Amino acid sequence: MHLVNVAQAAQGTQFEAPGPGDFEFAPFLGGSAFLTKPTLIIVLGSLAIAVLFWLAARRASLVPDKGQFIGESVYGFVRDTIVGDTIGREGRAFVPYLTTLFCFIAVLNLSGIIPVLQFPATSKIGVPLFLALVSWVIFNYVGIRRHGFLGYFKAMMFPPGLPKLIYVLLAPLEFFSTVIIRPITLTLRLTLNMFAGHLVLLVCILGGEFLLVEKGGVLAALSIVPFGFSIVLTFFEAFVQVLQAYVFVLLSALYIAGALADEH
Amino acid sequence: MQTLATVLAAEGAPNPLLPHVSEIIVGAVAFTLLLLFLKSKVFPVFERVYAERHDAIEGGMERAKRLEEEAKQTLEQYREQLAEARHEAARLREEAREQGAVIIAEMREQAQAEARRLTAAAHQQIEADKAAALAQLRIHVGTLATELASRIVGEVLQDDERQRAVVDRFLDGLEAEATAAAAAGSATVGAAGEASTSRGGAGRGAGGS
Amino acid sequence: MTGNIENLGNLNMIGYGLAAIGPGIGIGLIFAAYINGVARQPEARGVLQGIAILGFALAEALAIIGIGLAFVL
Repeated sequence: MHLVNVAQAAQGTQFEAPGPGDFEFAPFLGGSAFLTKPTLIIVLGSLAIAVLFWLAARRASLVPDKGQFIGESVYGFVRDTIVGDTIGREGRAFVPYLTTLFCFIAVLNLSGIIPVLQFPATSKIGVPLFLALVSWVIFNYVGIRRHGFLGYFKAMMFPPGLPKLIYVLLAPLEFFSTVIIRPITLTLRLTLNMFAGHLVLLVCILGGEFLLVEKGGVLAALSIVPFGFSIVLTFFEAFVQVLQAYVFVLLSALYIAGALADEH
Repeated sequence: MQTLATVLAAEGAPNPLLPHVSEIIVGAVAFTLLLLFLKSKVFPVFERVYAERHDAIEGGMERAKRLEEEAKQTLEQYREQLAEARHEAARLREEAREQGAVIIAEMREQAQAEARRLTAAAHQQIEADKAAALAQLRIHVGTLATELASRIVGEVLQDDERQRAVVDRFLDGLEAEATAAAAAGSATVGAAGEASTSRGGAGRGAGGS
Repeated sequence: MTGNIENLGNLNMIGYGLAAIGPGIGIGLIFAAYINGVARQPEARGVLQGIAILGFALAEALAIIGIGLAFVL
C-alpha cells in the first residue's frame, strides 16, 4: 500500500487514500504516549458520562425532570430490556457494569461524529480489548462459581443428549468458541466497525476536499457529491455506533446468561 | 509502545490490530473510575426512585383495591344481615300466626265445652224442676179437684175410692188430649209426657194398692 | 502487501471485496427472514427485532474482521 502511496506522491497531485496511518496520532506537547487524541477523548468522554449522570441523579424525584428521565431511560433500557430479557432476575448484580459499559462504548463511539473530536476512541483496539477482557473474566467467573471449575467446562463442552462420537468433534469446538473466539470477536467487531466507519467518512471528506482544493472547475463542483454523501454517512455512523454499543452489551449479557444457565 | 507505533508509522502502514499500552491503561482507569462512581452515586438513586415509583403506583392501586374489598365486604355483611332480619321477621310472623290460631282454637274449644257444660246443667235443672213440678202438681191437682168437685156437688166425697177414680179419669182424659196435641210435637216432650204419665200411673197404682 | 500494478489499488482490497460477499448474503438472508416473520406475525416484532439485530451483528463481524485483515496482512 505504501508503495502505491509513494508512487502517487511522486506524481504530485495524486489523491492519497486514507489508511491505518490516519489512526495514529502524535503525542501532544511533552511527548508522553498518555497524551494523545484518543486518550484525551477517553478521559473527556468518561467525564461527560459521569457529569451527565450526576446531574440526572442529583435531584432525583418521583416525578423526573428531563435530565433524570433520560438518565433513567438509559439505565432502564439496560436493566429491563437487555438484562431482563437475557439473564432475568438474577442479572441485577450485572446491571451497573453493563450500563456503564453501554454508556462508555456509546459515548466513545459517538465521539467519531462529534465535531472537533471527530475520532472514535473505540477504533483504537486498546479500549475494546480491555472491555472484552473484563466481560470475558466476568462470564467465566460467574460460570465457574455457579457450576464449579470442572462443572463449568463440562457443561460448556459436553452438552447432554448427543451421541458419544459427536463429542470428539464438539468438545474442542465449544471450548475454542467460548473461551478463545468470544473475546476476540467482541474486540474486533467493535474496533473494526469503528475503524471502517471512520475510514469511510475520511474517504468521503478527504476526497471531497481533494476535488475542491486540488482540482478545479467541473471537478470542484462535483465535490458536492462526496460531501453530501459524508453527511448521509454521518447519520448512518451514528446509528451504527449506538447499535455496536448495544450489540457489545447484549452479547456480554448473553454470555453471562449462558454461563449461569444450567443447560448450555 | 510509542516506539512501536512510530516504527510502524515510519514503515508507512501501522497495524490497527496492535494495541497501544497507553490507551489500554487510560481506558481501563477511566472505565473503572466511571463504573465505581456510577455504581456508588448514581444507580442506587435510580433504583431507589424506581422502587418509590413502583411503591407509589402499586401502593395506590393496592390501597384502592383494599378499600374496594372492604366496601364489598361491608355491603355483603349488610345484605346478609338484612336477609337474616327479613327471615327472622317472617319466622316470627309465622310463629305468631300459628300461636294465634292455636289460642283461638283453644278458646273456641273451651267456650264450646263451657257452653256444653252450661247447656247440660240447664237441661238437668229443667228436667229436675219439671219432675218436681209434675209431682207437686199431681198431688195438688188431686186435692184441688176433689175440693172443687165437692163444693160443686155440694157433698163431701167421702169415698176415697170413688174420689180417686174420678180424678184419675179426669186426668187420663186430660193426658189423652195432651198426647193427641203433642203427637206432632217433639218426641222428647212426648216421651217425657208418657214417662211422667206412666210414672204417675205407677204412683197411682202404688197409691191404690 | 504490495501489488505490481501501480495506481490500481491494492490486491488486499480486492480480496476483501470478495470476502464481503459472504456476509452480505448472510445479512440479506437474516433480514429477509425477519421481514417474513414480521409479515406473518406482526405481534412478534419485538422478539424478532432483537434476534435479527444479533444475527446481523454476528454476520457483519465477519465482514468487519475481513477489513481489519485486509489492512494488516
